[in-house]
Amino acid sequence: MSERAIGFQYATVAQQREASTLGMWAFLATEVLFFGALIAAYLNYRIWLGDEFIAAASLTKVALGTANTAVLLTSSACMAMAVMTFEAGSKRAPVLWLTATALLGLAFVVIKASEWWLDYQEHLIPALNFDLARHGGVAEIFFVFYFCATGLHALHLLIGISIVAWLATAIGRGRIVPGGSTTRLVGLYWHFVDVVWIFLFPLIYLAGRNG
Amino acid sequence: MSAATIWKCWFALMLLLAATTASAFVPLGSANIVISLAIAVAKALIVLLFFMELRGSRALVRAFAAAGFFWLLIMIVLTGADYWHRTDALAPIDQVR
Amino acid sequence: MHAPHDETYLNARVGIRSWLLTTDHKRIALLYFAGITFFFFIGGIAATLIRLELITPGPTLGSPDFYNRLFTMHGIVMVWFFLIPSIPTTMGNFILPMMIGARDLAFPRLNLLSWYFYIAGGLITIAALLLGGIDTGWTFYEPYSTFYATGYLILAVFGIFVSGFSSILTGLNFIVTVHKLRAPGMTWYRLPVFVWSTYATSLILILATPVLAMTLLMLLAERVLHVGLFSPQLGGDPILFQHMFWFYSHPAVYIMILPSMGVISEIVPVFARKPLFGYKFVVWCSIAIAAIGFLVWGHHMFVAGQSLYASLAFSFLSYLVAVPSAIKVFNWTATLHEGWIRFDAPMLYAFGFIGLFTIGGLTGLFLAALPIDVHVTDTYFIVAHFHYIMVGGAVMGFFAGLHYWWPKITGRLYPDYWARFAAILAFFGFNLTFFPQFILGYLGMPRRYQSYPPEFQIWHVLSSAGASILAFGYALPLFYFAWSILRGSRASANPWGATGLEWSTRSPPPPENFAATPTVVRAPYQYDQGKPCMQAGDV
Repeated sequence: MSERAIGFQYATVAQQREASTLGMWAFLATEVLFFGALIAAYLNYRIWLGDEFIAAASLTKVALGTANTAVLLTSSACMAMAVMTFEAGSKRAPVLWLTATALLGLAFVVIKASEWWLDYQEHLIPALNFDLARHGGVAEIFFVFYFCATGLHALHLLIGISIVAWLATAIGRGRIVPGGSTTRLVGLYWHFVDVVWIFLFPLIYLAGRNG
Repeated sequence: MSAATIWKCWFALMLLLAATTASAFVPLGSANIVISLAIAVAKALIVLLFFMELRGSRALVRAFAAAGFFWLLIMIVLTGADYWHRTDALAPIDQVR
Repeated sequence: MHAPHDETYLNARVGIRSWLLTTDHKRIALLYFAGITFFFFIGGIAATLIRLELITPGPTLGSPDFYNRLFTMHGIVMVWFFLIPSIPTTMGNFILPMMIGARDLAFPRLNLLSWYFYIAGGLITIAALLLGGIDTGWTFYEPYSTFYATGYLILAVFGIFVSGFSSILTGLNFIVTVHKLRAPGMTWYRLPVFVWSTYATSLILILATPVLAMTLLMLLAERVLHVGLFSPQLGGDPILFQHMFWFYSHPAVYIMILPSMGVISEIVPVFARKPLFGYKFVVWCSIAIAAIGFLVWGHHMFVAGQSLYASLAFSFLSYLVAVPSAIKVFNWTATLHEGWIRFDAPMLYAFGFIGLFTIGGLTGLFLAALPIDVHVTDTYFIVAHFHYIMVGGAVMGFFAGLHYWWPKITGRLYPDYWARFAAILAFFGFNLTFFPQFILGYLGMPRRYQSYPPEFQIWHVLSSAGASILAFGYALPLFYFAWSILRGSRASANPWGATGLEWSTRSPPPPENFAATPTVVRAPYQYDQGKPCMQAGDV
């Protein structure tokens, strides 16, 4: 995704920009179905396995989950600021906002990891130390979903953090200048990872809180 | 998009987050998940429309943004149609093991 | 700045690096041709061994376990590494940008990356199949695949996962290209039907493939870590695996057949010298098939234990998807009416497609009916049905397109006599192979068994005899195509008298496809007294 001049297959810059935007959204549609398949499986098991499955959700750490949601939503706001200031022509502001975005992303990962550490201590990690006698088999299935979902989300976030760090450096060195699509596309990806979390959060953390 | 819009959106997102977390602790039966998912949709719409700028996008881009969610809905509804009507009584897992 | 007149995409640059690092859609198409042919050959060898094995009622070539690995290999290779990528990545890559007057796809480097994903995934899977094979069948049903199957299942599934990136990126590239890179005047209703059907295919590729990716990841998690997701002994529901698997794999059937329908829609008007009958119906039926195709997957699970209500809904929706398919068949036949029909090799393959697809489609209606499906589930009736669609339909379409665009791709003409002979041979060989299997299945012969009662032998022998003819029909093109490259006479820009943009430029095309971006002045398939009216205004 370098910001060289217009590709030979395009007639105008606008055409190239529209193409890259559409391509990104088509890619995000595939991501919706990728995470969505897991969410669909979760919802069906929630119907099928009933109260015991929902009750297992209350073993997750709702305070950490809520804090992490706030962190991620704030990072999205920072990313929006980065794109906005970048397209307004500023050079210093987007670098600062991107750095804030990446740092908040890292904070999310750190909180997530500490949460996994707590899960480990409570013997909640399937295939590693899940305590079947204490939590039951249905809870184990819930935690398989939990680790698949949060793990794949964290992976997407780590990729996002790397790209944002690269982008901040490239803008700082003047290798990426307004007019191209790169910054906006990175922003779209970052926001999308946020959207995934917005749906994972109630399904994982808020179920079974009043039973 | 102006900085004011971005931070207004952020503020709305924080309010919705507080609301959804609080509502989870109120016993409402099956309404709990409906409320929390409705709030999730509202939050996602804020991010999609404002942060991801779908609001000012061409219809084509909006169609592709919607397509993924629409197809996911097909998957959830049609698989759910099966699970809602399953009559097979499965042995509790803990007995099977 | 004009290129020299004899410069083509083939000779513009030389050396192995100019091929392996190319971003030219035409060269990437040829890279895909190489890969597709290789995997077709592997899958074909497995098919040949299966048919040899089944000549006798008992074990012939090896143990039952060997037979399990054989049909699994045949299925996996043919589905994921031949049928799904076949037409889109080869002819789609080569022809689609030219049809719309573009100089390349929207994202040429992504296109090359797709090829590397495809080859890497294919080689990983082939390695797993050669190291010891897999005995699950291509469907990887739970809990068999996680707790009972032996062999290198993890490696094979990972290979399929990797090749999924190729599908997604290819579909994405086509979608953006069709939306954004059409030449001036190329409105949606002037697009050749092949473009529409490849577009519809691309929608399925990007919307269904990620579900398979997630399903396979969950399968791998269960197999590697022994954590419960689908296996009943760990509290999971194996039917959920089938739901998720078929959410991808049924639309995948339309990934295979829609591009072939596009090829047939190109060929029939050209060789009947008439506009395609009901153009708008044909293009919207492509879109309808892609959309409704997502709603029918449950007909694979009528006896699997899904609820009766779900089965009823899926049965109804399966009947519904037959409507747009039937409309297309009617349109192709109506196009022939009062046409000036020429029986060149591509047209013979197209006729083969129409007949065989119709049989495959009509038997599909039998299977959409709950009571009949319960009787013939997992029998040779199913095997025959889907081979009529995938081999009689998709592969015939592949060969039709290959013969149709060969002069454009290579700049050479092949001997038409031999090509017509091969087309007829493949048609008869195909019917002899698979029609007896309808009877076998109806009589109760289950699929995936090495041994069978002696009274079924006559049908199996007929089928194997047909397979040998079919193999000959498929091998013959290798020889005359090779001959045509060495000795064939040079093809003109438009040897068939077609109307599309790809026929307005030289054969083989220059690296940039067109000397100048063409302007489109009319709809495709227009003929005046049998003379083609080219879509491009001024070339």
